[in-house]
Order: sequence, then C-alpha cells, then structure tokens
Amino acid sequence: MSIPLQTSAPTMKDYHSQNQSTWCDGCGDYGIWAAIKQALVELKIPPTQTLLCYDVGCHGNMSDKLLGYRFHGLHGRVLPFAAGAKIANPKLPVIAFGGDGASFSEGIGHLVHAVRSHYPIVFVLHNNGNYGLTQGQASSLTPQNQPMNTAPNSIPEGTLNSMDFIFSLEPTFVARGFSGDIKQLKEILKTAISHRGFAFVDVLQACPTYNHFATHTMLMQKCYKVEDENHDSSDFVKARKLAVDTGKRIATGILYRNENVPNFIERLVPRQGKTTTPVEEVQTFDVSKLMEEFI
Amino acid sequence: MDERICKCHFQTPVVSRLSLKIVGASGQGLDSIGEVMAKALKRSGYCVFGYREFPSLIKGGHSSNQLDISDEKIASSEVKVNIVIALNHHGLEHNLKDLKPGGILIHSTPDWKLSKEDKKLIDQLSLSIIELPIEATLRKLGAKPILGNVLLSAFIWSVFGQDIGALKKMVGEKFAKKKDLLELNMRCIEEGFMVRKEFSSLSVALPKPQKKWQKQLLITGSKAMGLGAVHAGMRLYAGYPMTPSSPLLSYVASIQNQTGIVIKQAEDEITAAQLVSGAMFMGTRALTGTSGGGFDLMSETLSLNAIIENPTVFVLAQRPGPATGLPTWTGQADLLMAIHTAHGEFTRLVMSVSDSDDAFTLMNEAFNIAEEFQISVIVLTDKQIAEALYTQEQYNLTKTKIKRGLTTDPEKLRKLKSSDRYAIDAKNGISPRWLPGSDAATYVAQGDEHGPDGSVDETAANAKAQLEKRMKKMEALKSVLPEPELFGSQEPETLLVGWGSTKSVVLDAMKNLSPSVGYLHYTRLWPLKTATFTKLAKSAKKIILIEGNYHGQLGQLLKQETGVDIKDKILKYDGRPFFYDELLKLISDCI
Repeated sequence: MSIPLQTSAPTMKDYHSQNQSTWCDGCGDYGIWAAIKQALVELKIPPTQTLLCYDVGCHGNMSDKLLGYRFHGLHGRVLPFAAGAKIANPKLPVIAFGGDGASFSEGIGHLVHAVRSHYPIVFVLHNNGNYGLTQGQASSLTPQNQPMNTAPNSIPEGTLNSMDFIFSLEPTFVARGFSGDIKQLKEILKTAISHRGFAFVDVLQACPTYNHFATHTMLMQKCYKVEDENHDSSDFVKARKLAVDTGKRIATGILYRNENVPNFIERLVPRQGKTTTPVEEVQTFDVSKLMEEFI
Repeated sequence: MDERICKCHFQTPVVSRLSLKIVGASGQGLDSIGEVMAKALKRSGYCVFGYREFPSLIKGGHSSNQLDISDEKIASSEVKVNIVIALNHHGLEHNLKDLKPGGILIHSTPDWKLSKEDKKLIDQLSLSIIELPIEATLRKLGAKPILGNVLLSAFIWSVFGQDIGALKKMVGEKFAKKKDLLELNMRCIEEGFMVRKEFSSLSVALPKPQKKWQKQLLITGSKAMGLGAVHAGMRLYAGYPMTPSSPLLSYVASIQNQTGIVIKQAEDEITAAQLVSGAMFMGTRALTGTSGGGFDLMSETLSLNAIIENPTVFVLAQRPGPATGLPTWTGQADLLMAIHTAHGEFTRLVMSVSDSDDAFTLMNEAFNIAEEFQISVIVLTDKQIAEALYTQEQYNLTKTKIKRGLTTDPEKLRKLKSSDRYAIDAKNGISPRWLPGSDAATYVAQGDEHGPDGSVDETAANAKAQLEKRMKKMEALKSVLPEPELFGSQEPETLLVGWGSTKSVVLDAMKNLSPSVGYLHYTRLWPLKTATFTKLAKSAKKIILIEGNYHGQLGQLLKQETGVDIKDKILKYDGRPFFYDELLKLISDCI
C-alpha cells in the first residue's frame, strides 16, 4: 500500500477545525494548541501526515479542535498507544499529549517505560498542577500544603519532583516550555519532533479556575529562557540542576538533548535494513520454512 | 472406578492406543525425553499426543510428560498408562497407581523398598518393575547425569521394538551443532540397547506404523497459533509474560529474525493492549496474548476500541482462577468473562480454538473479522491446547485470504469526507476505515461519544444513533458466522455439546461410543448461533454438556439464547483436562 504525499506546504488553515473551543478563558491549553499547529506548519507536515494522540483531561479536548489524524484515548494510557502507532508506521511523526494528573499517577508506569524504551515520539506534558477536568483535585505534582477539591485540609501525600524523576530515567530530550510564550514553545516542539528518540516536553500552563498557586502571572515572572544564558544542552548534570531548581526562577527552553542514542526501532534486530513499515508489510507470510522444524 | 475404566477401555479396543508417562522433577529433562521420543515415534509412523503436567516452579516439584501413541488419529491422554518412566523415587511413590494392568514401571533408584500396599497392587495388576543401572552405566561412559535421559529413551525405544537408526538420526539432529556431546549421546543410545538385552522378556508391541504420520507436524497449540498469526500478516506482537500465554510470546519472539516481526515485551498487560491497539489503528496487524488476570487489565482497552471502532485481536489463554489460581493448569472458565468484560454495550466476537489445526487457521479469520467489522476479536485457548503436542497435518498455505475492509484506493480516498469515518447510515453499521497517513480527509478516533467525524457530541440523538450504529454490526456479524460443527451422527439420539480443547478428547471417546451419538462443537461463541442446536435439541433423546468449568457456561448461554436447559452436564474444574478413558466412562454412564 502506498501512502501518497501531499506536496504543497500546509498552512495554519489546513489544521483549522470548525469546532468551538471548550476551555476556560485564560487556560494555558490555548497557547499549547497554537504552538503545536505552528510547529507542524513550519515543519511542513500536512495534517494527513501526522498522528496526534491525546490522553484524557482538559488538554484532551483539543482532539477535535484541530485537524490531522487524531486519537483521544483513555486516562493515563496515551503513551503505549502512541508508541504502538509509531512502531507500525515510523514514517509518520507521532505526538502524544497528556496532563500532569494522568501522566504522573495512573499513567506513570507508561511514562517510565516510554522513556526507558526510547520510542521515537514526542510527549507534551500539559502541566497545570492539578486535575482540571474533574474539578480541581490534587495531582501528584500539586504542592503538599495546597488545599484542593477532595482535600480541604491539603493533601497528606508528598509532591513528586517531576523533573528530578524524569532525569533519573536517563532521557535523551527534556525541554520545558510555558504556555504564555507560544513562540519559544513552537521552537521547542519543532526540535522535539525532529528528535531521534523520546522527547519529553514539560509545558507549564495556567489553570485559571483551579490552580491559584502557580498562576499565569507568576509563571510569566519566574520563567526565563536558557538560550538567553548560553546553556549547553548537552550537559546532563547542569540540565538536571536547572530543571529541578525552580525556587527563584524557572528555566525554560531545551534543557537537555542527546541525538547519539539509537531509538527503540533502530535497536530492533529484525527491522535492520527494512525499507518497508509494518503497516506496508501486511500480507500472507509464507511459513513453509518455519514448519520444517516440526516435521 | 479406576478398574472399571480400564476394563471399559480394554473391552472396546476400537482404536489401539498406548501411553507412556515420564515423571520426575522439573529440570530433570523430562521434556527432552518426551520431545525426542515423540518426534522419533511420529517419524516412525505413529500419531502422538503429548501432555505435560508441571507445578508453577522451575526446579523440583513432581512433573510429568505423557505421550499417547496410536496408528490412528488421537489427540487426548489416558489416565491409566502402559509405561511409567520414573526419573526419581517420587515416581515409585506416586505413579504405580497410574499403570494399567500389565503395565511397566522403569526406574533407577537403587535398593528401593516397596511398601506392602504397593506390592499388593503390583501383584493384582501384574505390573513389572524394572530397575535400570543408569548411574553405573553413565559412570562407565563418563557421561553426566542428564544423559541418563538418552539412555532411558534408547531403552524404551528398544522395548518398543524400534530401529536404533531412527533414534540415532533424531538425536543426531538435536545435537548437530554440539559435536562433543553428539558422540556421547550416540554411545548412550547404544548402551541403552545393550542394557535392554538383559530384559529380553520385556516387550511392548506398537500397532502397525502408518506412513501418513511421518511427514506430519508435531506441534503445540501455542506454536500453531504463532505460525497462524505470522501467516495472517501479523507484524507486531506485544505481551507480558503469563502462563499459559507465555509460550506464544516465546515462540513468536524466537522467529522474529526470520520473519522481521516486532516483538515487544511490555511493562504490563495494559501497555501490551494499548500498543497493539495503536499499531492496529495505524494499520498493521498486531496481536497480544495473556491469561485471565492480564485480560482483566486489558478490558478497559477493549472498551476503548469499541467506541473508536478499532480492530484488535486478543488471545486469552485460560487457566483456573480466581486470582493466581492454578497457574500451570487448564480450564474453560473464562468464556463468560470474555463475552461480558469491559464497560459499555458493544459488538465483539468471541471464538475459541480447539486444537493445533484451528489454532493456526482461526488467526487469519480473527484478523479478517476484526478488520472487516472494525471490532475486537477475543480468541480463547487454554493451557491444554497451549502446551499439548499434537500430530498435525501440514498447514495448507494456499487458502489464506487476507481481508482488511480498508479504503486504500487514491481516488476513493480523495472523495472521503471526515464525516464518513463514523457515518451513522453506513450499511450494517460498518463505516469506511482509512489509515492515518492516507491522503484523505482526517478524522479523530474519539474515546468520547462522537459524531460522524469523531468530534465530541453528547446530544441524546447522536448518542442513540452512534450506539445503534455500533450494535448493528452484531447482527451483521452473526449472519456471516457459520453454525457450530456437528460430528458423528447427523441425527443424534445423544447430543454432546462442547467447545475449545474438549473437542479432541470427545472425538477420541466417540470412536468407542454408539454411532447414534453426535457432538456439536462451538468455535464461535459470541454472538451465539443457535439454529442447529435448537433443531438437534428437539429430536435428541439426551443432551449432554461437556465443559471445563463449574457453571457450564456455554450451557448458560444456550439457555439464555434458546430457552433449552441442558440437564445432563459433565463438568470438570480441577485444573486437569478431560482424559480419554475418564471421559469415555463419564459419557457412557450418562447414556
């Protein structure tokens, strides 16, 4: 089966959906939504040549607010679905989106193994520090002393240091964006899409309805761009320190990037030298040679 | 009871069969003796059926590997065997009672003192107890204890009156790449034949060999399934180890380099199910397999695939539950789970393989139906099928037709609208499916209730219309499924009803039953076809349900769908399969 390629360069209009947005005014999802469309257009990827996979949460409501081949799945499970899709057809860029609620609770096992497996996909973390769609419960990234829905006395559990956790998994691409800086986020996403393996993009975003501890204004004041301060993104130790140290200032930009590690598909021995994709290979396979061992 | 079984068997020797049971600790090499003997016997012209029992551990425990041998088609095991080979003293303690009258027990435990009861039993049944000087012989040859297995195999081979050359050829192939071991193996074979001369009165006559078995395959259900899936165009397999689905994962992993398939050992069953769903969504053929506990975890994904109308195939290899239950034993208790699990109402196909034959052929059918109807197909198997060794005709590879139900023609693709993907008015509820990457209008595979292009739509009218669209596929699917197959009498006075691994043993038992007995075998279990059953139930004097579970789950389904309540039930739920002699007696008692 041949997949014909669209030749003319796509425009923002090609990604435009008629469906009206359902996010709250001031939601950080708007910025991420704009940045991803811009990144795809600037990379000249038409909507027919990408797969956008959404987890369940407020961000997932983006799934029908833009065009492209899209998938909106189960809470916490977006990564293995996206990985399976990518392995089946490595020619298509696959971008997965998930919130901090699902990704660091129900889906944390998938996240660990997606980094470890080094699937060549992008993961965009919509990080608003709480469960928005279910009305403001604490996520594992919500500060411990913060009263939330279902936890009026604040949550008894500790807070997960998401960046320290991600760096402990030896990732090859870690970036942090801010939904209020669409231009920078677009550039981050473009590089992430071009990355050889698993690209983790943490996007800090406001949740004006439920998150009163990390507001848009606060994020705007604290975020700075590492590219303005000559950060060496090949320095793993420095990158980890920058990522974790968010007390006074929050570092944004491409924190760490290593293009020298083969990805999951490149490591598969049976796939070496294959020019076809598993999607293109579906046909009856002659097993007569394999039967011989049983005679 | 046991004695009566034996008599019953010997009085009706319609099919001449005999059996050999090798017992010992896991890790002692029972399986290698079983494998060598089974293949050597098949190549010499016998139909062999191999059955393994083992506890859930790697070393120790008391395991067995049984071969049932005949010149005719058999695919079942007997409770009572002709020969027991005991690799350690536990066999002497536990397996004397497994022997038929006139049976032989071979062991190598020096100075074993038989109990009074044992001596009585030996006397009663005229058993022969043979002690082989294996240790001394191995010492003489300077061979390691594990080679005792070769010595034993050669001894038995000689007792069967078979040619030494055939066995040497077999073992030669196995050790072709280990020249140093090869020579020692050959000497052990010769020594086994020498030792046999000291027991010249000992002999077991095999039936006359048949040429037709020689070129057939000797294959487990798991490997048959793996071959079938690869033949059907499966290009990715993802799974998490869980007995009895693990042998399927191991087999497809072992052939990845020859086939170019992707193997992914996932971090859990949820991941395996999601990976496979993503791969199928993108447009390849992908498969996952698990057992009950793992399938519990996959059920959420099953539900997801229903609403996004994403074709998927799941292999559910049954073992007894609840919970960890009996990990290495068999059962048929997950039928109703396969039909009912996962939230929401939707169309699915549940089918079950029954032996090494349909374990191969049904894989393509499963993929075809999954893709043509855009539904999930659950293929049931069980530990019995997964691990049993069948003598199997070589698979016909020319008949397989892959049907994908995909829109791929560039002209047709260009004409598609996003709203065609989940169009409510699609015939039989089956709307066009086209793959990501196609030069066509795009859509969203939406886990929320959605309109025709996948956009979220929670209106009452849409919710009703989309659910009805998806349910329409059920009737369409039912109309293309074949009726269950009827074996034996086509107008049965006694109607046996069953599914799955029960088929082989029922067919073996039926050779000794009245020709007025018929067996109705269900392969496709949901949606359930009932016309044949209803017709036969009206004219049959007796209906007997045979199932490996407590409730008689197929019986419950038949009652639900037809109102016919099967009164006579032969149900087994102790982790063991039905045995030939056991089932023959149970059915005879019922009739």
